[in-house]
Amino acid sequence: MTHGRDAEDAKLLQAGDIAGLLAAYNDTIVGRCVARLRGSLDAEDVAQNVRLRLLSEFHRGRSYGDLPYRVVVHQVIGWTLGDYHAGRPTDVPLPEGWEPASPDASDQVAANYDLRRLFETLPEKTRAVLELRYSLGLEHEQIAERLGMKRNAVDQALNRGHSKLRDVLVADG
Amino acid sequence: MLFDDYAARFARGERPDAREYLARAGEGVDELGTLIERFLERTAPPAPDDGALRLAEAWVAGNSPLVQLRAERGLRREEVVDSLIAALGLDRAKREKVTGYYHQLENGLLDVTRVDRRVWEVLAEALEARLGDLVAWRPRPIGAKMAYMRPSEILEAASPSMPAAAAAPRAAAEPYPDEVDRLFGQAP
Repeated sequence: MTHGRDAEDAKLLQAGDIAGLLAAYNDTIVGRCVARLRGSLDAEDVAQNVRLRLLSEFHRGRSYGDLPYRVVVHQVIGWTLGDYHAGRPTDVPLPEGWEPASPDASDQVAANYDLRRLFETLPEKTRAVLELRYSLGLEHEQIAERLGMKRNAVDQALNRGHSKLRDVLVADG
Repeated sequence: MLFDDYAARFARGERPDAREYLARAGEGVDELGTLIERFLERTAPPAPDDGALRLAEAWVAGNSPLVQLRAERGLRREEVVDSLIAALGLDRAKREKVTGYYHQLENGLLDVTRVDRRVWEVLAEALEARLGDLVAWRPRPIGAKMAYMRPSEILEAASPSMPAAAAAPRAAAEPYPDEVDRLFGQAP
């Protein structure tokens, strides 16, 4: 869950453990680049430059107030992918004045990077099923047992929730 | 459903390879790519394992993750080269060339995206590592000036300690490209 991750990230930042942070987010960085570039071999180069930019920001001694580090990571990924698609070099540091989010918008920005916010509009049972599936990775039988539901009901809830999730995620710009 | 399977495996910390899922998506590749990316944007990653942490530490320190893994496994470079030659059925007379290219690969001087997957598969087994991690954690250039130099520029400034075969991997009389050149992405 994001709150536990945020607390861990804050500890790692406080300790100056950039390696720990990069290790935590590497699969996310590579996964997003591969997904955005639809498997293109350029994805690994872009991911490397995301890591280099995060390292560069760390060496600059940047702090981000109350903004969770995961949001910073995703903003850097977004900027780097944007540079790539615009034909701008990605193998250079971020501009000196770059900011992941303005202070008064940071709460909203952070909320945009939280899967639970998407589940909030779903019926309670569907929400519970999706949270167990996509936050913990439980199998259908495990979800049924934990929630006291029939397996068939879990399947149907997942189908409904997945359709809703797909509509929101694909439509989200 | 591909997305459902990917998302659940990610949540469990199984480290699914997005590229493998996209390859299976057919006409649905665009939607799947969008779903995976949006999901990753909104999902906290599981805690990294010790192997991933050590690779990251090597990378941040400016060391070669491939060298780090080799050292952790107690392997000499020659042993890894032997594994490559044996597993890929290469001519042992090309040993010096293979050694040169592997040295370049360890030091981030080859374009990893052009290295044949079979090379990575052999290395993943020899180094007991995940193939995706070997490709992802290529060495970073050291120092501010080199921070974002391209591999070809770094090769020009390569240290004199590099094996001679790495700087000039082929003799004039050898046909080019040969199988070794192609495996390491050096064929035009």
